Amino acid sequence: MEWWTAGPVALMINTLVALSSQLMGSFGLTIIILTIIIRACMYPLTAKQLRSSRAMQGLQPKLAELQKKYAKDKQKLAEEQMRLYKESGVSPAGCAVPMLIQLPIWIALYQSIIRVLAVTPEELLGLSRLLWSWPVVYSVLPLESHFLWFNLVYPDIGVAVLVGVTMWLSQKMITPSVTDPQQRAQGQMMLWMMPIMFGFIAMSLPSGLAVYWITSNIISIVMQYFVIGGWGGLARGGASGRELRSRIIQAESTTTAAAGSDIVDSSSTPKEGVDEGEYGVKRQLRGGGHQSSLKSIRRDSGRGKGHRS
Amino acid sequence: MQIRRNGKRWGKVWLLLALLIVAGVVLCGCGSAAKGWPGATVADGRLYVSSLAGRLMGFSASDGSPLWLDEEAGTLGTSESGVAIYGSPAVEGELVYLAGYNGKVYAFVAESGVLRWVYPREGNLASIAAGVAVSQGRVYFGCSDGTVYALDAATGDKLWSFEVGSKVWSTPTVAGDTLYVSAFDKKLYVLNTGDGSKRWEFEAGGAIVSPALVYQGTAYIGCFDRYFYAVDAATGSLRWRSEVMGGKWFWAKAVIYDGVVYAPNLDGKVYILDASSGAEITGAVDLGNPISSAPVVVGDKIVLATEEGSVYALDTASYQKGTPLINVQEATEDVAKSSSRMIYAPLSAAGGVVYIKAQTASEDALYAVDVAERETLWSRSLVISEGD
Repeated sequence: MEWWTAGPVALMINTLVALSSQLMGSFGLTIIILTIIIRACMYPLTAKQLRSSRAMQGLQPKLAELQKKYAKDKQKLAEEQMRLYKESGVSPAGCAVPMLIQLPIWIALYQSIIRVLAVTPEELLGLSRLLWSWPVVYSVLPLESHFLWFNLVYPDIGVAVLVGVTMWLSQKMITPSVTDPQQRAQGQMMLWMMPIMFGFIAMSLPSGLAVYWITSNIISIVMQYFVIGGWGGLARGGASGRELRSRIIQAESTTTAAAGSDIVDSSSTPKEGVDEGEYGVKRQLRGGGHQSSLKSIRRDSGRGKGHRS
Repeated sequence: MQIRRNGKRWGKVWLLLALLIVAGVVLCGCGSAAKGWPGATVADGRLYVSSLAGRLMGFSASDGSPLWLDEEAGTLGTSESGVAIYGSPAVEGELVYLAGYNGKVYAFVAESGVLRWVYPREGNLASIAAGVAVSQGRVYFGCSDGTVYALDAATGDKLWSFEVGSKVWSTPTVAGDTLYVSAFDKKLYVLNTGDGSKRWEFEAGGAIVSPALVYQGTAYIGCFDRYFYAVDAATGSLRWRSEVMGGKWFWAKAVIYDGVVYAPNLDGKVYILDASSGAEITGAVDLGNPISSAPVVVGDKIVLATEEGSVYALDTASYQKGTPLINVQEATEDVAKSSSRMIYAPLSAAGGVVYIKAQTASEDALYAVDVAERETLWSRSLVISEGD
């Protein structure tokens, strides 16, 4: 991994240090600014990932219908699924690929923060090997580790709690509301597991990393607000079942009006336990065509309504 | 059922991805734990050194035989294992002193290795990432909490402290009744040893971790801004700043010989400067690997060690480095070959012999090399095995 440390990590380290020199040597502020810059640069990927994720969730009712219809014909099922993906403009890999592209950048930033904090003499000595011959880089180190009420070098329980809270808010925002108990349990587990895990990790690592996580979570919330067009799961959190149902019906009627007779009745959504809320429905039906299979879905849609009443 | 299986599958994928992120982030980016790089100190034919296991050891300087056979000798008297120690032990009178990264200072009886006192007796200070200086019955050290302490060398009682305001990761230098302490805040502080009052301070262009070299009324320090400075020891005014800039940080303490300053740099070069003007006497001598270990003067040679284990005797007349005296990564009669054995600790010398402490991540070894004869006199591992 020499190339990794000497390449991306060194680039990030030198950028962090150079940026810090322009920010009065405040490393906390530097972490925040660099995180914002990197997340801004990755916005197209993040937006694509969010949209793909929403679109995939939007397709779940139709996928469920197809699976039900072609339960005994796997090949036909695969063909129909692919056709649905294609016509809806959704790629199953659309969620994962942008995330995988961003992953190395996050890890490089994380490792850079750890190295620049240089808690031990060994780390400070090791840092010197990764510095480039930019005049400002050498004289500004070691960076000021005090930021707000805490020291970036040491864990801080308040900062760790903020990591958990902001991560929960970010996750909650994009968590779909589901009626299926199993999916709901799975969603709840993911919603709570990650914030708690990162909260605990933050309590044992330098607070500088927690600052990065908090900033990143807040940026995620802002991006999600604009990409998905609202507060998503956060706004939906207090909605009663009746409110939920009325919103779904409203969304269905909007969709039907927009897409004409070819559009599938989305009332199958609650039947399979996925609620798209205020967004995603339009997108899931963007494909329009897909005549034969969709007509059959439409025929079944009445049963879906029956389940919900 | 099919949709549930589908949902489960995607759930598992996301869960796996999340765990991968966490594992990647946590495992790939872990920093280095404090291991320490304690050097050796020679006094009265005895060699004192602390091991990576955090234990003071004593040896005969002539043949490397251990001074103490008692199992408890040299132990820190704490349940903490593997306390990291930076800097070399300091010896005065009948006691040997060393400071631990755990925020404690220890005094041992030189004759027996028995622990005499610990400061503080209860609790710990912030980490101490350097050695202690001892002079005229007082022990001085700097701490990561930005404080310089003076203790009574006989009892370990605190005499005074001085707030620097930023981390001190360098061993103080004592010259007469003056204490020189360099700090992260780019300053060299000069204090009265009597009461800790500040005489003057000098601000350089970057943080300072190398101890000051004080010689004939001048304090010489290398700095993180890659310049080398000479400061008037009486007034704190700048005498000169080196014309040449190092490739990386000046980390280790410089040495002076015959009016010439030899300043090692982490760029792997030794900068050779006129002590009176700071001008380069000759081009920097490139050892090809970072130098974080403080060099020593042995006869008319400057002995320097690179991190990757090559030890050179630089000729002060020709400024030629020649071939290495030893490379500690190679096998000797008593120490096995190891390509990960490095030298970070300050060198020490007495009677024409240089003592080198080398270490891997888990074991350390000591070497005695006759500089004039270019001969390894003895070497030994500092790992205590069952049979020892």
